[in-house]
Amino acid sequence: MAGLRCTDVVASYGERTVLERVDLVVPEGTLTAILGSSGSGKTTLLRVVMGFVAPDGGAVSVDDRVVAEAGRIHVAPEKRAIGYVAQEGALFPHLTVAENVGFGLPRSERRARRRVEEALTLVGLERGYADRRPQELSGGEQRRVALARALAPRPAAVLLDEPFSGLDAALRAETRAAVLDALAATGATAVLVTHDQAEALSTGREVAVLRDGRLVQTAAPTTLYRTPVDLDVARFVGEAVVVAGQAHGDTVACVLGTLPVRGEPTHGPVQVMVRPEQIEVRADDDARVAARVIGHSFYGAETVLKLELVDGSETAVLLARTLDDAGVELGDRLGVLVRGPVMVYAA
Amino acid sequence: MKERFGVSRGLFAACLLSALLVAVPVVVTVVQAVQGGFSAVHSTLGSTSTLTLVLHSIEVAAAATPICGIVGVAAAWFVERTRLPGRPFWAVILVAPLTIPPFVTSYAWANFGPAFQGFVGAAGIVAFTYYPIVFLLVMVALRGLDPALEETGRSLGLNGRQTFVRVVLPQVRPALYGGMLLVVLDALIEFDAFVGLKFQTFSFDVYAQYQLGFSASGAAALSFASIALCLVLLFGEVHLRGYANYTRVSQGARRTAERYRLGRAAFPTLLALAAVGAISVGIPLGMLVRWFSESSSAGLSSASGNLKYLLPATLTSVEVGAAAAIAGLLLALPIAVAAVRTRGRVVTVLERVTYLSFALPDLVAAIALAYAASHWLHFLYGTFGLLVFAEAILFVPFAVVSLRAALGQLEPSLEESARSLGSGPFASFWRVTMPLARPGLAAALVLVFAFTLGDLSTTQVLLPVNLYTLGTEFNANSSTVAFAAAAPFAAVLIVLALAAAYVLMTRFGRVRTAAAR
Repeated sequence: MAGLRCTDVVASYGERTVLERVDLVVPEGTLTAILGSSGSGKTTLLRVVMGFVAPDGGAVSVDDRVVAEAGRIHVAPEKRAIGYVAQEGALFPHLTVAENVGFGLPRSERRARRRVEEALTLVGLERGYADRRPQELSGGEQRRVALARALAPRPAAVLLDEPFSGLDAALRAETRAAVLDALAATGATAVLVTHDQAEALSTGREVAVLRDGRLVQTAAPTTLYRTPVDLDVARFVGEAVVVAGQAHGDTVACVLGTLPVRGEPTHGPVQVMVRPEQIEVRADDDARVAARVIGHSFYGAETVLKLELVDGSETAVLLARTLDDAGVELGDRLGVLVRGPVMVYAA
Repeated sequence: MKERFGVSRGLFAACLLSALLVAVPVVVTVVQAVQGGFSAVHSTLGSTSTLTLVLHSIEVAAAATPICGIVGVAAAWFVERTRLPGRPFWAVILVAPLTIPPFVTSYAWANFGPAFQGFVGAAGIVAFTYYPIVFLLVMVALRGLDPALEETGRSLGLNGRQTFVRVVLPQVRPALYGGMLLVVLDALIEFDAFVGLKFQTFSFDVYAQYQLGFSASGAAALSFASIALCLVLLFGEVHLRGYANYTRVSQGARRTAERYRLGRAAFPTLLALAAVGAISVGIPLGMLVRWFSESSSAGLSSASGNLKYLLPATLTSVEVGAAAAIAGLLLALPIAVAAVRTRGRVVTVLERVTYLSFALPDLVAAIALAYAASHWLHFLYGTFGLLVFAEAILFVPFAVVSLRAALGQLEPSLEESARSLGSGPFASFWRVTMPLARPGLAAALVLVFAFTLGDLSTTQVLLPVNLYTLGTEFNANSSTVAFAAAAPFAAVLIVLALAAAYVLMTRFGRVRTAAAR
């Protein structure tokens, strides 16, 4: 199968194992986001694929060509045809934009400049940029040039290490759009490494969650968000409200009422995970569950309310997202209703 | 990746080779001493005259090193962090003493009279010849400091002086200690700087042993003391390798530091710097003028008689210097690259091995190499190549230091990006690292060149019989009645030294950092 494939990859620094049997398949022409907090091993995984670190176990192949196999094969980084966009771009400060982009091209193509211009156009930078120095570019432009440089030699795959870190919100969105367009236009197989869940969910065809050196879940963004494999993943990929409950087949009883269960029917004590946007608040308190507002954060497009259940034997703190902020104030009593099925995990 | 101790196998092999080559004189010396028998070692080391001379060396080091520390740090701070008028000029003047041959300085001081021919002269020459080592290292460290740290210090209620003591000084301390360590080692084995004086040190004893019918084992036995001392200092001093890590520029854009206004302090500061310049550069220059004025009367005939040797001597000196600079760079490069890439113990040890050339008085190292060549590699004996090799390994620590400072400032992701774009390790180094580290390379070349030019004892031992250099001609003529005859050679040496200082100051530490906004 073409694309990028990591099979049982193990890597360690001295005594410390950083990657434990990582299996990852990135289908040809798609982008997979690797999501992990700092220290999860995501940079090491990237460096193993690049060839800067040799794995202690397992293998890496690109377009069916094995580039690393522990103890047997180690193709040098420059012979792997894998493009790399380092954090903050890592543009060569002594070269112009055009020289940077042409760096990986054979001498003849470098001189002809056609490919350089193609690559720059691809990332949405017009010709005017070619003779500028990296120091004269904004942070976002630097990342785009770095991507153009990586794409110019037509690599079999491209790896991007936190490509949007350190950019402000507006620049980030613009740069991300340009980068995703360029990757889509070239049909490149791409891996994007990030610690930002929103970035991972919004960029990847698939998102792979790396935790303590293990890939705990690889799935499409919606699947990952709605059916995380455990509570840690649930909390890592988004806000989660967790309450105790008792499962009865395909329903679960908890302080929020009797709710439908997503996925396999189960029985016994469980932990119930609800996403804040599933929790609907109503001004009238004749709903079954009553709550008091204890926190209130306005984000413009939405408002996040922090709620505490009024009665019921256990105290639970809920988060709810509402689109209209109908004059809710601290201490107000509201009715709470959960929409849609919820996830349950064995308690 | 095929690795050995944190670096690729090829690089590790190159490091090992460099370290082995640099260690040759020390190993040969130890072998010689052992062959001479332990009783010889014991009797030579045990004699009271030897003990006195060793104490002299230690006294000189003890007196000169603190002066180097204070002058070096102060000069670096004023040049790097204040709006001192004429900073580029002062930078060159302050570094020039390092490139002026110590034997020229020595004769210049001796000419001032008997008071300067004893301990005062010896300590003074060492202090005012070697403070630029501290000056350079501290200056690079200051340049690498994040100004936000100082600002944070001020915001926490520290005044300017407290900020310097509690924020700036701790961060330049590794550079300061590293520099002072080099000064101590230099002072202990110094010989050239004392040739004009009546003051005798440890190296003089070695020289005497050498003169007394080539007593190699005696000289070797004496060197045991300095080798032991050097090893203790090098491997006991944890901070030595620390400073380059401090100079590493943090990721992202970093502002350049705001320079302090000197205000009313400007005049006293200029006066102090002028005094330092007068002592270190003014004395040799002043003497040169006096020698030339004498040549117009007494020594005119002998001076003009010597002029025909001036051009060949200059050419030979420049050839030896240039060849040694290139050889030293080649020896230092793998070590510096490896030391920047890994903090592994094995590479650290190899890096420190390059400092072993400080373990031996230059003379002993030269004798050891001559001995090794005459016994095992006869085709090298008495050749230009052996002299070049000797000079290169003597001064390789300075090349390692400047290369490390330059390479340490480069982001590793630059070379990795080059690798990902299809350039092999060598191509990446050539296309990315070299151009960015060029100022450091230039500094390394200039330092080794200048030191080789200013070396006398090694040259005298290893120079092929039919050749002469500026140094040997100066020395031969300075022992005659009139210094006038030596003046032209000293003049060329000083001009070359000042040129080297100028190149050094326009290059050193000026490394373009990662593409900042």
